[in-house]
Amino acid sequence: MSFLSDIRKLLRENIREYGMFIALFIIMGVFAITTKGLFISSRNLVNLVNQTGYIAVLAVGMTLVIVIRHIDLSVGFLAGFLGAVAAIAMVSWNLPVYIVIPLVMVFGILAGLVTSFLVAQLGIPSFVATLAGWLGYRGALQLITISTGTIIIPNDTFNAMGNGFIPDIPDIGILPDKHKVTLILGLIAIVLFILSELNNRKKMIKNQFEVSSIAMFTLKLVFISGLVGGIAWILAGYQGLSWTAVVILIVVAFYDFITSKTVLGRHIYAVGGNPEAAELSGISVKRITHVVFASMGMLSALSGMLFAARLRSATTTAGTLFELDAIAAAFVGGVSAAGGVGRVMGSLIGALVMTSLTSGMNLMGIDISYQYIVRAGVLVAAVIFDVATRNRGN
Amino acid sequence: MNHTSEAAPVIEMRNIRKNFGAVQALRGVNLTLHHNEVLGLVGDNAAGKSTLMKVLSGAYTPDEGDILIEGQKSHFANPMDARRQGIEMVYQDYALANNLDVAANVFLGREAVQMKLGPISIMDYHHMEQETRSLLNRLKINIASVRSRVERLSGGQRQAVAIARATAFNAKVIIMDEPTAALSVAAIEKVLELVKELKSQGASVIIISHRLEDIYNVSDRMIVLRHGRKVSDTPVKGDIHEFNERVVAYMTGARDDFAESNPAQ
Repeated sequence: MSFLSDIRKLLRENIREYGMFIALFIIMGVFAITTKGLFISSRNLVNLVNQTGYIAVLAVGMTLVIVIRHIDLSVGFLAGFLGAVAAIAMVSWNLPVYIVIPLVMVFGILAGLVTSFLVAQLGIPSFVATLAGWLGYRGALQLITISTGTIIIPNDTFNAMGNGFIPDIPDIGILPDKHKVTLILGLIAIVLFILSELNNRKKMIKNQFEVSSIAMFTLKLVFISGLVGGIAWILAGYQGLSWTAVVILIVVAFYDFITSKTVLGRHIYAVGGNPEAAELSGISVKRITHVVFASMGMLSALSGMLFAARLRSATTTAGTLFELDAIAAAFVGGVSAAGGVGRVMGSLIGALVMTSLTSGMNLMGIDISYQYIVRAGVLVAAVIFDVATRNRGN
Repeated sequence: MNHTSEAAPVIEMRNIRKNFGAVQALRGVNLTLHHNEVLGLVGDNAAGKSTLMKVLSGAYTPDEGDILIEGQKSHFANPMDARRQGIEMVYQDYALANNLDVAANVFLGREAVQMKLGPISIMDYHHMEQETRSLLNRLKINIASVRSRVERLSGGQRQAVAIARATAFNAKVIIMDEPTAALSVAAIEKVLELVKELKSQGASVIIISHRLEDIYNVSDRMIVLRHGRKVSDTPVKGDIHEFNERVVAYMTGARDDFAESNPAQ
């Protein structure tokens, strides 16, 4: 097979997976040019990642909610409410931060289970049940901040989640202006990626699956390694990897593992693809619904804390419209409204696309009204792309 | 397939009754399925075929009557119970998750586990794909890759996957509800060949169909239901035209001369 036709075949078969990466690349490239490089400066990219954080973790949870054919509109104000709970826990209850973070995440899980009880046990459509949650948590947020207004969070450890960077090793004379731990982590990521790809390919060949040509395979390795290396290099030029980025990486890696390697993940997608078939196969659709909404609640808690940490405070309007940003990110990232289709990695990319648009257009000084319209166009384009590619390839 | 207790019939349903409110869907039906037998089940709409098979596959609990599997009295609370005892149902609409691949569907709900970390079970992809591939080979099912998503397959291939899935875990009995209803002529041929292949490998099959020629082609024996009663239970033999006429006569009630030889047996 010739190299060119190999590329064409690869693109055709994986257009759904690669489409998002390509879109992100184009958007970043355009902004890099229109802002004369400002967009891809270290400082801006770090900011971009930190701004994406609280939407990205919501988008990851929302991916699974949409995969099982539901929706969760309550996550924005739930995040805002739980961010305020975290602030109150530290400021008024004087709880240590290492208790507050897991405690608030448990609250999130409980909130998710309340939703899934309404949806799975009582059969209330998730749109309605979570619309009630949207109203309720909005009220709850205003109620607990009514006497204080904005609550300033004085805890540096907590605030580091939204503003801080991972520590670096002391200067040893090599690369004095770079964040060395970030570079080392980038290198480790590249090595692990290449090893796992080689291992995968070996297994595929052993099991007689068709694999792409050596040239194509090498190109892919070089491309992704270069991408990871490049990002690590840019980040290392500022203050290194932010804690928000670490949180995103952990969340995405964990959810990617659960959805692609475990029985639970398989069952989530089966419920999304055909709930009746799943039930007949002995999979409890109710149980899956509980698990998915509980995870959504937990990630809402995390999102709320990331946002509070970023602002170093809990505000009375925190979380407003987060749910719609998360849903848009998931759809842009290739999640299908029909259910059963969509990966968490795609939703992360979707979230990055949406934040890049905001960040880039802000740098260009484009009016906010045009920004909304552009983002609307991107969302519609993504969904059209999804429909158009659904019955092609593979 | 299981050959351990050849003496007892693999399935014996005795005097099965099932009412839905005032409707008597089944009025005391007896059904026997022998080892390595293909049994055709026919009847007009609302004759009780599907109800009877849903009782056998655990989806319905009968109001009265017993089910014996290889001579042992059995009770199913749900389809999983029946599956655990070796009774598999292939549903009319295939009951596959179209967004998942062939191997995933064959192992759906019974995934092979490589490692368990608390509540998290890591799947053994390799095992499931190997098993699926050898299963498809054994049944002579032609699908390019076990990694093809089911939505990419033709109707006939989907039905083949649904049947393969039913046979994957040492089923004693495979029940097929209208396996050829939604298929093209070429695909119907393939599915009927698959039924013959299953029989040649020792399986016992119950097949519900509206297409009498399908029943004629693959079945050893045939039962006709009418208004919730068994009205005929005969071996499939003789000329196809005579067969068709006879079956239609029983189905419509033009002929009604069946007497259970010894219902208690």
